[in-house]
Amino acid sequence: MSDQRIEGTANSVPSGTAAPRRRVDPLAIVVRFQSLIGLVLVAIGGVIFSPRRHGEILFLNPDNIANIVRAVSETGIIAIGMTFVIITAGIDLSVGAVLGLSAVVTATMMISGGFGLIPTILAVLVMGIVFGVVQGTISTRFRLEPFIVTLAGLQAARGLALIVSGNQYINISYGDGPGLAPPVFAVLGERLFDNTVPVATIVFIIFAAIATLVLNTTRFGRYVYAVGGNERAARISGVPVSMVKISVYAITGFASALAGIVHAGQFNFGSANDGMGYELTAIAAVVIGGTSLFGGAGSMVGTVAGTIMLGALANILQLNNITPATQLLATAAIIVLAAVLQSLVRRREGLGR
Amino acid sequence: MSAPLLSVTGAVKRFGGVQALRGVDFDLKAGEIHALLGENGAGKSTLMNLLSGVYTPDEGEIRIDGKPVTFNNPREAQAAGIATIFQELDLVPSLDVAANLFLGRELIRPGGVLDVPAMRREAKRRLEAIELAIDPARLVADLSIGQRQVVAIVKALSYASRVLIMDEPTAALTVGEVERLFEIMRKLAASGVGIIYISHRLEEVPEIADRVTVMRDGRVAGITEPHAPQAELVRLLVGRSLDELYPARAKSAGKTLLSLKDASFRLARESAGWQPPSGISLEVRQGEIVGLAGIMGAGRTELLSALYGTGLAGRWQGEVAVDGKPVRLDSINAARKAGIAFVTDDRRGSGLMLRMAVGLNLVMSVIRRISPAGLMSPRRQAEAVTRSFGQFDIRPKNPDIAVGALSGGNQQKVVLAKEILGNPRLLLLDEPTRGVDVGAKGEIYARLRALAAQGLGILVASSEMPELIGLCDRIVVLRQGRNVAEFNGGVDEHTVLAAANGREA
Repeated sequence: MSDQRIEGTANSVPSGTAAPRRRVDPLAIVVRFQSLIGLVLVAIGGVIFSPRRHGEILFLNPDNIANIVRAVSETGIIAIGMTFVIITAGIDLSVGAVLGLSAVVTATMMISGGFGLIPTILAVLVMGIVFGVVQGTISTRFRLEPFIVTLAGLQAARGLALIVSGNQYINISYGDGPGLAPPVFAVLGERLFDNTVPVATIVFIIFAAIATLVLNTTRFGRYVYAVGGNERAARISGVPVSMVKISVYAITGFASALAGIVHAGQFNFGSANDGMGYELTAIAAVVIGGTSLFGGAGSMVGTVAGTIMLGALANILQLNNITPATQLLATAAIIVLAAVLQSLVRRREGLGR
Repeated sequence: MSAPLLSVTGAVKRFGGVQALRGVDFDLKAGEIHALLGENGAGKSTLMNLLSGVYTPDEGEIRIDGKPVTFNNPREAQAAGIATIFQELDLVPSLDVAANLFLGRELIRPGGVLDVPAMRREAKRRLEAIELAIDPARLVADLSIGQRQVVAIVKALSYASRVLIMDEPTAALTVGEVERLFEIMRKLAASGVGIIYISHRLEEVPEIADRVTVMRDGRVAGITEPHAPQAELVRLLVGRSLDELYPARAKSAGKTLLSLKDASFRLARESAGWQPPSGISLEVRQGEIVGLAGIMGAGRTELLSALYGTGLAGRWQGEVAVDGKPVRLDSINAARKAGIAFVTDDRRGSGLMLRMAVGLNLVMSVIRRISPAGLMSPRRQAEAVTRSFGQFDIRPKNPDIAVGALSGGNQQKVVLAKEILGNPRLLLLDEPTRGVDVGAKGEIYARLRALAAQGLGILVASSEMPELIGLCDRIVVLRQGRNVAEFNGGVDEHTVLAAANGREA
């Protein structure tokens, strides 16, 4: 019961307490579920505007749908991590670069280093966490804006990736023996269940489910909202503010590393340029999902829906041979719309400006 | 008799289903200081917004010099000579005083270059006209709140105002600054400006107002003399007589909770304007409410935040004991472990997560207790919220709305309820009723007294002398970071003030 209520905290004001009485503002409802509504609208639009072949709606073709959810899985994983950071009113610009670094290290360890699958994955994930912890520690210890610290982190991760890769594509070949990756790693580029569900998407969904539980049902999740809601008030209430902040950057570091591994497995190579610009796509998905850049409010469900919505939108435009330029403009319009809706609700709730 | 400078007749304003004004008549004469009182939600702000052109009335009429006017936006109201000074002063802190005074109407030299010397000269002249010696080249950020208030007034008046609306201008001012502000207001009134003065501080009314209008529930509850007895004003404000704003005092106190003996807080680094406790001796016992009095800068807030570990970095010296045992109060954690809770004087800035739900704010200090093994327990959370709502009459009775949407009084109840949930043994309160209306004040006092009766010790700092005198069992007067006098509750105000200022009574 109550779990469901907390789950329903789709947006704006995190709730989760017994309500004797509830006044409903329709606009607030729209915003609370804006990314889900947007996703439904995009899906309907997809069906209507989809090209058809032999009467079949191409948009709804299982292969096409699998493509959509596969294409968004990497940015989706990153956006999930980013949601934690943005709820604390922070930002992490280093995620795309850490993805690149992770993809490069994954490929290098298996191909040049001769490491096994499990040690490689563990090492890369730990590296991502450490990267985040360092950024979080610098930011809290020296009271620096996360924007600056993670901007530097972006450069650092790209630089490290270039050093590790020697500015080369590290191709991953499969097989047994030195210089070859275990064939099972290639599963990340495949589909399961009768060749329907991409493995990358499964990783995304599992990560999303765990993140949702952590954010909504744990003490840590509550601390994340508290730090973003009012850092000083949180500190006075005994919330370990620095620990929470460092942790959320550790989470984005972990998520970026995970996405980097998925990336290497899907494309069978690692390159220092992988994940370029993913940070902005992830931030867009989080904002469309209803999470406020001011902190203190947001939801994981919204982020997941926002991610898929952006992917579906790009897909339908592609199916109709609409140029990437137009796709960018459409994404821009949606981001602005999402932000305007949120601002309207804030004003209605009497929270000003 | 000539028409009043400004009059409102039969003003009605609805917001959706809520009727904020239900037919209000109000008038202001030239040269008059007219106090407008009312609890939060009584309709004061709505009326003010009608006059300043933020809203237009649904029914009713506004007249200036007897001629009907309509304002479609604040600019039109300004053009008609009505200037409003809002609580949040519309000054840009990073610009200097002159730049603020001329914001949007800068003096330009031929060629499009700002004529800074001319603006500074003119600013200086205007400031001197009300005998205020502020260098126009100073940044607003470097001014005291009181000085900013005056700059805002000068700015408003430079629109050639005939009507000045002031929303709680004294809320953040020191006693001295209030005096200066009142002098300026009287001077303005003498020159023919009509002033509408909105305040929560009843005790200021007889000092400054010529006439008082009290609003309640969107209507005018009464128009009265400024020298009407306070009880009468309170009755008009809340619609019932508050038998006593302050509850009866404790008959006896229990054992000593907090004891400071010649205690000083040694700062890691000196800081101008932060008066650390230096050589304080005082005690707070179970069941007791102890007040901290003192002029601005005497070190009241600093004492509380040093005890709670939220002040500047530093270390206690001398004897600091809780329950008779020496403790090192050097961090928030240490204070909380010792059973100390703290309510700041800045509930919006450091007390509440404004955009988060009331319920979530309430359980903030007990998250640990309601999350066994790290998982939030919805049942325990609901129990805690229910307990808070049972203790404090928080309106609306809905834990799911954002706390920022509540009135000041209800927000303050949430901050208090939040700390009470943690079952502290000693509660430190800084300005517990700042910006809170009279009705909520009475509730908060009663609640604090009831909690004390259950054994809680309370140390409360306040700049409102009547509050300290009415609420506290004992009052400790601070000056320059040390205790200089101590009185029992109910002492007369002048005695305390004299001690606070270092004079003989």
